[in-house]
Amino acid sequence: MSDTSSTSPASVRLIVSWALVTVLLGYGVIETGITAAKLF
Amino acid sequence: MLTALDRSRSVAPPGFSRWLIPPAALSVHLCIGQVYATSVYKNSFVAHFDSSATAVGVIFSIAIVMLGLSAAVGGTWVERNGPRKAMFVSACFWAAGFLIGALGISTKQLWLVYLGYGVVGGIGLGIGYISPVSTLIKWFPDRPGLATGLAIMGFGGGALIASPLSRQLLSAYDSGYDPDVATSTASGGALVALFLTLGIGYFVIMMFGVANMRVPADDWRPAGFDPASIKSKPLVTTASVSAANAIKTRTFWLLWIVLFCNVTAGIGILEQASPMIQDFFRGGDGKSEVAVATAAGFVGVLSLFNMAGRFAWSTASDAIGRKRIYMVYLGVGMILYALLASIGDSVVALFVLLAGIILSFYGGGFATAPAYLRDMFGTFQVGAIHGRLLTAWSAAGVAGPLIVNGFLDAQGKPGTLTASAYQPALFTMVGVLAVGFIANLLVQPVPERYHEKTTGKPKEAVA
Repeated sequence: MSDTSSTSPASVRLIVSWALVTVLLGYGVIETGITAAKLF
Repeated sequence: MLTALDRSRSVAPPGFSRWLIPPAALSVHLCIGQVYATSVYKNSFVAHFDSSATAVGVIFSIAIVMLGLSAAVGGTWVERNGPRKAMFVSACFWAAGFLIGALGISTKQLWLVYLGYGVVGGIGLGIGYISPVSTLIKWFPDRPGLATGLAIMGFGGGALIASPLSRQLLSAYDSGYDPDVATSTASGGALVALFLTLGIGYFVIMMFGVANMRVPADDWRPAGFDPASIKSKPLVTTASVSAANAIKTRTFWLLWIVLFCNVTAGIGILEQASPMIQDFFRGGDGKSEVAVATAAGFVGVLSLFNMAGRFAWSTASDAIGRKRIYMVYLGVGMILYALLASIGDSVVALFVLLAGIILSFYGGGFATAPAYLRDMFGTFQVGAIHGRLLTAWSAAGVAGPLIVNGFLDAQGKPGTLTASAYQPALFTMVGVLAVGFIANLLVQPVPERYHEKTTGKPKEAVA
């Protein structure tokens, strides 16, 4: 949980953070979209 | 362990990117948003406990009531202890709720599920919902609507993730369960495994948020941001109002009415969405043009509108202004409800579009509320004030379904209703929105006597 001041690890942390929530949200949106597209 | 999460040890070092905060907040809201996906395993619960749908539905109701109560009661504690400790406590309660719930399922004790998922998990919901909000506002003083919209969008998105995930997990744990068949139910063992998986999985994801969450230093400002620019905006205060004083103001209670009316109207559609689309397109022979499976897809589409509205409308409020955007939610919402009642049964696509925009306003109302509170009461204890405001959600969660179901019960039996049966309920919602519209018009700046005494600059918040 420690903070880092160097640029590279901070960038990696930022990318990993957004990637996690993007994957989670993307999964939900795509699954819902597929279901809706099949049904409509 | 908990001392390490104190606010004093959570201050961001120089150079810390504020864009780490939205995903940290999202990782909590995406998890607790699962509460909107409980209908996925409702039938399996009914079969496993051999109880009524109402008895199983009580689990959700307890969780939502506990959300409002714990947010209201725990808001000041969250402000005092900071977001990391609050998010950690939320994760513990939320995960413990699933684990106790799993015990209740395995022993067939429904009361244990009430206690676990409902009460314990509900506390996790309330603390988790408000814990990142005030911190986000402090990191994004220039765009509070965008920041809170991002996080609260996650609460809507949580159901989008949990619904398909739960179906897929139940299929994996019970080969006899077919999620595409409405009457198929999962075994008790599969339900236990699902609850254990979700509890552990959500805890890990929420810990990711705890690890990344930081509060800004007292003198931190975003690059290029001039605090004086806030003074130039009407209905945006630079003063500080405590939570204790906020609830003594007329402004707070007007905003409470605004949120209550907006949520009551939206939740009425959300709760009835699946049977509603079938009833609107029921022919003279009593059969609906819309199949049960299509209705389920419609619920998913509404969830997408709900989620998108949280981000898009809240972000737009930064440019349009909070009071004006609520005039849109409530005023345009009235027109849309009237259209839904009068011509909603003409074409399925029109029905879906009208209901979708209404649900986007419902989500937008939730997401814009913290920024509206910031504008009126300052950042000092905005999280605690937000927690108290969420009691409007609990009240609306009871009132909305009561209004809709009360009118529908008087119109006939479920499965035989048509579009005209919904008109009294929908026109009542127009009236409810009108009350909210007037309340919003009456919102005025908080009188100076409620402001905290300061030495010239806005009082710094403790969260």
